Amino acid sequence: MAQMWITMGPQHPMTHGLWTLRVKVDGETVVDTEAELGYIHRGVEKIAEARDFTQITPYCDRLCYVSAMTWANSYIYAAEDLLEVDVPERAEYIRLISAEVQRLASHLMWLGAYGPDIGSLTLMTWCMRDREMFLDLLQELGGSRMHYNYPRVGGVKRDIPVGFADRLIAKVKLFEHRIDEYEMMLDESTIWLVRLQGVGYTKAEDMVNAGVSGPNIRAAGVNYDVRWAHPYSVYDQVDWEPAVEKPTSIKGADCYDRYRVRMEEMRQSCRMILDAIEKIPGGKNTNYSSGDAMILAKAPTRAPEGATGFSHYECTRGASQFYIQGGGDGRGKKPYRLSIRSPMFITIPYVAKTMIGYKVADIPAIMGSFDPCIGETDR
Amino acid sequence: MGMRITNAQADAAAEDAVTMINARFGGSDVSATVEHHSNALKMAFVRIVAPPQHWVAVAKHLRFDLNANYCSMVTGTHYPEGGAERGWEVVYHLMRQPVVDQAPHTQTVHVAEALKGADIPLEFEVVVVLPQGATPSIPSVQDIWVGADWNEKETWDLVGIQFEGHHNMHRVLNPHDSPEGFHPLQKQHKIRYHDFNEMYDDAQGFGRKPSDEGRVK
Repeated sequence: MAQMWITMGPQHPMTHGLWTLRVKVDGETVVDTEAELGYIHRGVEKIAEARDFTQITPYCDRLCYVSAMTWANSYIYAAEDLLEVDVPERAEYIRLISAEVQRLASHLMWLGAYGPDIGSLTLMTWCMRDREMFLDLLQELGGSRMHYNYPRVGGVKRDIPVGFADRLIAKVKLFEHRIDEYEMMLDESTIWLVRLQGVGYTKAEDMVNAGVSGPNIRAAGVNYDVRWAHPYSVYDQVDWEPAVEKPTSIKGADCYDRYRVRMEEMRQSCRMILDAIEKIPGGKNTNYSSGDAMILAKAPTRAPEGATGFSHYECTRGASQFYIQGGGDGRGKKPYRLSIRSPMFITIPYVAKTMIGYKVADIPAIMGSFDPCIGETDR
Repeated sequence: MGMRITNAQADAAAEDAVTMINARFGGSDVSATVEHHSNALKMAFVRIVAPPQHWVAVAKHLRFDLNANYCSMVTGTHYPEGGAERGWEVVYHLMRQPVVDQAPHTQTVHVAEALKGADIPLEFEVVVVLPQGATPSIPSVQDIWVGADWNEKETWDLVGIQFEGHHNMHRVLNPHDSPEGFHPLQKQHKIRYHDFNEMYDDAQGFGRKPSDEGRVK
């Protein structure tokens, strides 16, 4: 049969956003692929050169509309490296809790979007229901549902409100049972298993060489995690261990392993949150006023030329990185250059190549299992 | 309980790496130093400054002798006022990750504090300075790290650094029909908020009109 190119996207449900996957098919078999990105490139790196360091945070929120808190935190650690700021420990705990709540919300969004890809519409409604709990919690911190502008250079914008800890604990404990419900529904669903198992194999060393990171690596059987390997917060003081799977094949991790590792990661996030809220310095039901030295350290606003800042952060989809060079406009008030490393920008072209050899119907299962987010990909 | 690579482990790994690099490239213009971040936990990393003609040799040394198996980030910067020797700068961020392929039904669970020697995750920052000129160019490392491929595509697309020997270079974030030679992160391209006119109270310059060009308070 003659081979032909077909175009999936930019408006295909498989894309989870806006991008194009061009697929060369021979009958039903994929023989070549090509990813085309850049549909929502906004030039955040250029805009940041004309903003001072606090003004950049909201743009970093909007890098990924599913995981705003982790991206803002990621930027803040780079800015703190550049400006040489020490953060109060209470603020570090609040950042850890907010990032892990965001990770729950983001993984729920992933699971909710992945379900319809495979044919389980129930999953979408269940996940949206549970995600709402965590968006409410984040709204209490940042003031809005999706883009919080919460971390500050030197700490956080405001303290956790009184009663937040009780609501957090109640919701997380409820959600731990909900994870069991999801697993009961999915792991006993023939459709789910047939479409995920034995599809989309990726090997650990190939992935590292290609720059893939995060849960996708841990699905292949190694517990490598930025949170302990390049540590940045108080993750060593709370109770958790990185989620890691045992892949069943010599060919590496399949879509089912990647689904399993994200479910386990949600459990670990719950465990971490419940431990951190009890250990938080200053007490979980105290509310310090904004700008108090317990939650915000004084930070310089200018960075000299030649100073650099770098952060390596475990976002929900993998390792995000920021690199900032100081000494820009306004005698160093603005960055001279801000560079963003998005995990999905590297992962999507890699995933496109792993689809070769599988069937056209497997494409949504493989792509969805890597959790693409186009906001951070195109920046 | 959580775990982490301790500062002492990172220091030791960084010093070992610096010793190896300086032993291999001593006497050339390549220099390696142990640096520390100024945020959170003050972790150590290795900063390498290399001239462009030695970059590929440095990259191979890092990849095959020091096991820097992860090319995470390529950053290009334009310095139009940096003098004749420093018109452009390319910064590579590389990582060493203790990740190996698994046999079926097995897993590797590292315990951070127990990792030793070349298993300790480490961060490398390689700075390559390029001279002033309209067509900055540096050898590609696409065949050393697959992960460098799209990073280099992005750096060419946005900054205009040319990577010699890069296979299949094309626009990735800008439209495919962007004018040749248009690379938006070069400093001659200004956005609306650069150098805003301070005669207005609005710091972002929303009230600025074209006829106000050049006027100051």
